[in-house]
Amino acid sequence: MGGLFTALNAGKTSLEVNQKSIEIIGNNISNVNTEGYSRQSAVLTPYPSMSFGSFFIGQGVKVSDVTRDHDTFVTNQLQEKSIEYGLQSGQSNPLAELERIFNISDNNLATDIDNFFDSWKVLSANPSGLVERDIVIQRGEQLADSFHTITNDLNKVQQNINDSIISKVDDVNSKITEIADLNTRIFNIEIQGQTANSARDRRDMLAKDLASSLGVQTYTDSKGMMAVQLPGGLPLVQGTEPMTIEAVPNGQELSLVLHTGGVTRNIGLNNLGGELYGLVNIRDTVIPGLNDNLDQLAYNISTAVNSFHTTGAGLDDSTGLNFFTPNSAPPLATDPLWLDAARNISVALTNSNQVAAAQAPVPPATVAPGDNRNALIIADLGETSLINGSDTFDSYFGKMVSKVGIMSNQNKLSLGGAEDAMVQLQNLRDGMAGVSLDEEMISLIQFQRGFESSAKFLSTIDEMMASLMDLKR
Amino acid sequence: MKVTNGTTYRMLQTNLGKISTRLEDLRNQGATGIKLNKPSDDPASIRPVLTTRSQIRSTERYLDTMGVSLDKMEATDGNLEHVENILQRVKEITINSINGAMSPADMTVFADEVSQLRQELLDAANATVDGKYIFAGYQENVKPFVENTSYDPALYDQADSATWPYIYQGDPNPTELEITPGEKLQTNLTGNDLFMGISNSVMQAGPIPPAVGYPSDAGRVDIFSVLTRVEEALRAGDIDDPAGAGGGLQLQMENIDTAADQSRRLRSQLGNRASRVDTAMMHQEDVRLDLNQILSRYQDADAIETFAAITKQETAFQAALSITAKVSKISILDYL
Repeated sequence: MGGLFTALNAGKTSLEVNQKSIEIIGNNISNVNTEGYSRQSAVLTPYPSMSFGSFFIGQGVKVSDVTRDHDTFVTNQLQEKSIEYGLQSGQSNPLAELERIFNISDNNLATDIDNFFDSWKVLSANPSGLVERDIVIQRGEQLADSFHTITNDLNKVQQNINDSIISKVDDVNSKITEIADLNTRIFNIEIQGQTANSARDRRDMLAKDLASSLGVQTYTDSKGMMAVQLPGGLPLVQGTEPMTIEAVPNGQELSLVLHTGGVTRNIGLNNLGGELYGLVNIRDTVIPGLNDNLDQLAYNISTAVNSFHTTGAGLDDSTGLNFFTPNSAPPLATDPLWLDAARNISVALTNSNQVAAAQAPVPPATVAPGDNRNALIIADLGETSLINGSDTFDSYFGKMVSKVGIMSNQNKLSLGGAEDAMVQLQNLRDGMAGVSLDEEMISLIQFQRGFESSAKFLSTIDEMMASLMDLKR
Repeated sequence: MKVTNGTTYRMLQTNLGKISTRLEDLRNQGATGIKLNKPSDDPASIRPVLTTRSQIRSTERYLDTMGVSLDKMEATDGNLEHVENILQRVKEITINSINGAMSPADMTVFADEVSQLRQELLDAANATVDGKYIFAGYQENVKPFVENTSYDPALYDQADSATWPYIYQGDPNPTELEITPGEKLQTNLTGNDLFMGISNSVMQAGPIPPAVGYPSDAGRVDIFSVLTRVEEALRAGDIDDPAGAGGGLQLQMENIDTAADQSRRLRSQLGNRASRVDTAMMHQEDVRLDLNQILSRYQDADAIETFAAITKQETAFQAALSITAKVSKISILDYL
């Protein structure tokens, strides 16, 4: 009878274990679409055998652990690739916006430049025409307006980038705090010898997200705590301590600072990665570069036109007048002469009689209405290589547009590549750690059968016990 | 490695996404007919496209300018023909007067006619196009030729334009227009050159003191003076006395020929320039055509190629969709 009771116990453990396993499978199936979830499985071990005289008999089975399918290499790769993906996807929206600003349609800045110099050509064919003179001034104003529009648009892109940085910072901070919390939880669970599977899954996911938005690097210490660092080495999570990032507005500017236990440090471009690097890079490097080019273009156009306009004379014998308002001198000696020229360019002339189509006469001679010599000279400026001696105004603008085009094109290619890599790595990860419904269904059958046979076994033992009971009536 | 739900659907999704993005791009190309819609479509073509567009615009402007020049030249030519006819008639009158034995009354009739012709010449010299005097140089709003109120036949000096019967109020600057990049062409004639025989360079340099006026170039004459003096000679009946009134008809006969020559020479120069403009126009039309072709090569989508590519992508899209539908139909659950 003693052996039968032991067998009853063994059957009971089997029932429990199979039920537990089915529970775990159920959990796997529920999480089939959960991102970052790793498939879990029960680790079954037999109970220690008991000695029956000269031989050992097993005492059933137990679930000794629940593990998750996991591969550190792939997880790290995924985190690593997320940085590149985040960087490229962070740049793609602002670059698309820049492409819209520097478009190549029929009415971009190049057209306005052409139209302006074309109006001088028209004037040269009829130098006394007041309509032609008005058109020259209007086209000049149009050109100045176009410069203003582009400068404002660039400014707006910078502001939009700042807005998205502010919204990103909140998200990043909550993730940093969550990782620190998870560190505590994992430590508390695992110190009792259990495995914190879902907490680890969640932590890996957060680390991947942070890599994508901030380019963070992580490593896990011997206590199972994940340390998170910025690319330049500044700490974000140390043990159970989260740090916070703050976006500090300073007039039009927005800078990022890190609060680390009472100390505040600036986060420069070298301490950023991923999406925020992409955004800050466009805001602080690409757009100022384009602005400078635009300023240089505006400055060169206005000085070139002015230098010839001042030597000419208008219908009213006025001479020495500037066509465009000259750019004011920059505040610092180290600033380039063309600082803010694109923002400030404007037409100085208001009276169309003052448009200097004629060569300045030697007094007492007065301006002849048919004199078109100066108009011819100014009209020619549009086709002269005046910027650094190698570019006409048009082709300089073309260069800027191609620069934006190349950047955007490069970004599209890199983004496509990063996307492909991410998909592949994610598939690799899912192939190792993901939930396959086929697999779970088969396991389900497996453990259901296990449960059924255990039940059958128990009823057999029960019958045997009943037979024993029936011996004495 | 195993196939999981996640991998299968991720694969289908990315592929559908890729194909539909490509299809969208191609449809955009097909709809606009332009393959260069954004700078990133082909950064290398941007500069050529912008430069070519600007060249096309300036070519169109050159064509416009040349059209204006041709109009002016034609108007000038019409006036020059008139001048030639006037000189022709004066010559006939002069020959008649020298050869035939004319009564003083006949001579007076002729003199009246020459006076009329001189008036006609003045009208031609003060001709306007579009409200502007065409023979006034840059002074297009100033009547170029007016009667010299202090004209005295006795003081007439061939070497000083201040003593001539008509004075020139324009300036010696012919209008130049740019007809092709870097090439400027003179589109009109100045009154001093055409009617007074004083070349522009002489007049631009200013009179040599103590003279107030200018002499005619060697071998050229002031047409107004010739006509005025022919009239004076006719009225005085002076046939061959160089010292008499009007210098005598014999002498003026030569001057009339010189004057006709002068007008003819300038007229043919103008004709040459007009034909230069004509060829330049033809050339610019060709250039415009070529430039448009270049522009099209850089930015236009090949319609057939685009439509073929769209069809190809649509087939791929359909295939991807039907595979997606099939995948969702196969499930282990149907077999358990």
